[in-house]
Amino acid sequence: MATPKSNKHADKKITRRDFIKNTALATAAAATVGTIGFPNVLRGAAPPEIPIGHIHPLSGFLAFDGQEMRKAVMWGVQEVNAAGGIKALDGAKLKLIDADSEGKPEKAISEVERLEREGVAAITGCYQSAVTIVATQIAEKLQVPFVVGVASAEAITERGFKYTFRVQPSSSMFVGHALDYMRQLAEKTGTPLETIAYIHENTQFGGTLADFTEKMAGEYGFKVIKRVEYSVKAPDVSTEVGKIKAAGADLVFASGYFGDGVRVARALSSMRVNPKAIVGIAQGGFSHPKFVSELGGEVTQGIMDVNFQYDPNSPKAAKTLAGFEAEYGSKMSPSMVYAYSPVGVIADAMERAGSADRDAVRAALVKTSFTDHILPQGPIEFDATGQNINANPLLMQILSGKVEIVWPEKYKTAGIVFPFKR
Amino acid sequence: MDFTFVVQSLLNGLLIGGVYSLVAIGLTVIFGVMKVINFAHGALMMLGMYASYWIATLLQINVYATIAFVLPLLFIVGVLFQKVLIAPIMDAPEHNQLFLTLGVMLFLQNMAVYLWTPDFRILRTPYANINYYIGDISISLVHILAFAMAIVFSGILYIILHKTDLGRAIRASSEEPVGAKLMGINIKRIYWITFGIGAACAGVAGTAITPFFPIYPYVGDIFVLTAYVVVVLGGMGSVFGAFVGGLIIGMADSIGAMILPGSMKSVLSFVIFIMILLFKPTGLFGRQNA
Repeated sequence: MATPKSNKHADKKITRRDFIKNTALATAAAATVGTIGFPNVLRGAAPPEIPIGHIHPLSGFLAFDGQEMRKAVMWGVQEVNAAGGIKALDGAKLKLIDADSEGKPEKAISEVERLEREGVAAITGCYQSAVTIVATQIAEKLQVPFVVGVASAEAITERGFKYTFRVQPSSSMFVGHALDYMRQLAEKTGTPLETIAYIHENTQFGGTLADFTEKMAGEYGFKVIKRVEYSVKAPDVSTEVGKIKAAGADLVFASGYFGDGVRVARALSSMRVNPKAIVGIAQGGFSHPKFVSELGGEVTQGIMDVNFQYDPNSPKAAKTLAGFEAEYGSKMSPSMVYAYSPVGVIADAMERAGSADRDAVRAALVKTSFTDHILPQGPIEFDATGQNINANPLLMQILSGKVEIVWPEKYKTAGIVFPFKR
Repeated sequence: MDFTFVVQSLLNGLLIGGVYSLVAIGLTVIFGVMKVINFAHGALMMLGMYASYWIATLLQINVYATIAFVLPLLFIVGVLFQKVLIAPIMDAPEHNQLFLTLGVMLFLQNMAVYLWTPDFRILRTPYANINYYIGDISISLVHILAFAMAIVFSGILYIILHKTDLGRAIRASSEEPVGAKLMGINIKRIYWITFGIGAACAGVAGTAITPFFPIYPYVGDIFVLTAYVVVVLGGMGSVFGAFVGGLIIGMADSIGAMILPGSMKSVLSFVIFIMILLFKPTGLFGRQNA
C-alpha cells in the first residue's frame, strides 16, 4: 500500500507545473469548441454539415427493431443529401448521429443530453412509447425540436410541449380508424360484429391502445369483453391466448412487438382460436414482410393488422422503397416507413426556416404542410399539440404469403377475405 | 374457468418447464461443482440456437440432427471457457468469477449482434406447425420434442453423474476438492469437463427450442432468469432438483397467468423463489452442506 501512495505524491509534485499548463490548454480548447464549433449551427451560418440525432433501441431487447429504424432514418438522410442537401443553407448536408436507448427509458435521458451537446438541430425516435415520453421531456427542457417517428402513446403529445411533433397516428387515432374499418367491414359484408377480445403486451404501448379500444368501442357498436396482457419477455403466452379463446369474441385484437407477436400468432394458430378476424393494432410483426416469409402461411394466413403503411399509389413511395431495398437488401417494413418520414419533415422545416437554429426549426415545424412524403394521407400538418392531424393507418391482411393492403378501398392492393376461416 | 382451459395451460406450462429444466441443469452442474454462478449461460444457449439454425440451414439437415454438432461444439466452448477464463481466477473471491461471466455474456451477445445482426431469425421446419388435439386441447409436436429432449438429456446426465467413474470423480470434486485431489483425481480436468457439460446442456436447450422460438442475440435472457429461480428451487447443484424445479416453475407460471391479473403472472414463481431462499435455502433436493 505504501508504494502507490508515494507514487501519487510524486506524480503530483511533477505535474504541478504541467497542471496549470494543461488546465489552461483545456480551458482554451473548451472555449474554442464553445465559440466556434457549437454555435456554428445555432447561428445558422451555413455549416458544412447539420447534425440531426435519432434515438432508438440499437442494442438490447428490441435491437432488431431498433436497427431497422436506424436503417430507415439513414435512408431518409441519404435521400435528402442525394437531392442536394438543404438548399436554403447552401446545400448543407445532414449528418445523422446515433443514440442508443437500449430500450430503456432511463437511458434516453443521457442520450438526449448527449445529442444536445453534440449540437443536433433536431431529434427523431424512439420506437417505444415509454422511451419517447422521457426523451421528448428532456428535449423539451433542452429546447431541441423532437419529431417522433414511431411511438403511439397519447401522452406524448398531450403535455403541452412546444418542441414535440409526431408524424404517426396517435393511439386514439389508431383505435378510431381500426374500429371504424371493422364497422365498415361488418356492414359491407353483412357480418354481425359485436365483441372484441384484446391481447397486448403490458407496457405503455399496448396498454394505451387497449385502454382506448375499451373506451371508444361503444361509439362504433363494439364491446371489449376480455383484456389479457403479457410481458414481451414471457417465453410462453399460451395461457394468455387460452383466456382469449375462452372469451369467444367476434374479433381478436392484438398489440405488441415482433418477437412476442410470433409467439402470439403461433399460439393462436396451434390452439385453433378462430374468431371472424385476428386484427393487430399497430402490431410490430403482423404486417412485417419477414413475419410472413419466416413464419409461413399456415400460421399467418388471413391475419390482419391496422398499421402504418406507405401509400401504394405514390410514385415517390415506389422510388423510396426500391432505393431502400437496393441499398440494404431488405424491404422497408411499415414501421420503417414512419421512422423514415420525420427526416423529410425536418429537412422541409429547415428549408423554410432557412436555418438550422433549433428555435427557427421549431417555428417552421409548427407551420408544416409537407406533401412530398410517402404516407397514405394528405399533407403532413401538425395541430397545436404537435400531432400530425392527417395521419392515417391502413388495414392490411396476410394473403397467400404476402402483406396486402385491403382497406380503405382507395389504397387497396388486394381484395379482403372477411370473415376469415382458417 | 373451464376444464379444457386449465388442462391446456398446465400442459403448456409443463412442456415449457422442460426447457427451463434443461437450461437450469447446465447452470446447476457448474455451480454445484465449481461454485461459479455462470451469467453467460443464456448467451451459451443463444450460441446453441445459432449453431442449430446455421447448421440446419446450411447443411439442409433435420434440426434435431444438429444435436450431433451442437453438443460437442458447446462442450468445447465450455471447456475453453473454463480453461482460459475461469481457471486462472478460480481462487479469487467469488464475485470476481461472477463479474467475469457477466463480461463474457456481454461479449457473446455483442459478438452475435456483430456477426449475425440483431435480426430475428425463424427456422422454418415442417414440424413447427404440427399439432395434436385431444378434444379441444392442443399439443404442439415441437413442444413435446423439446420436453422429450429435456427428459432424455437430464436422464443421461444423471446416469453419468451417478453410475460412472467420471461422475463419481465430478461429485467427489464438488463435495471435497482437496480430498479428491489426494485420491488422485485431476481436479483441473474435472472442472474443464464439468463446464463443458454445463455449456453443452445450454446448447441442447437451444437446439430444443430452435424449431419454435425466434432466434436473436438476446434470446438467452428470456430463459436464464427463470433458470436461476429453478436452480434455487431445486437446490444448488442438484440435477434432479433442477429437472423437477423446471417443471414446477413452468406450471407455476401457467397457474400465475390463470389466476393472477395481467402482468402479475411471474409473481407466483418469484414468490416461490423468495420463500425457498428464506425458509429452505438448500432447495427441494439440495445437500444440507451446500
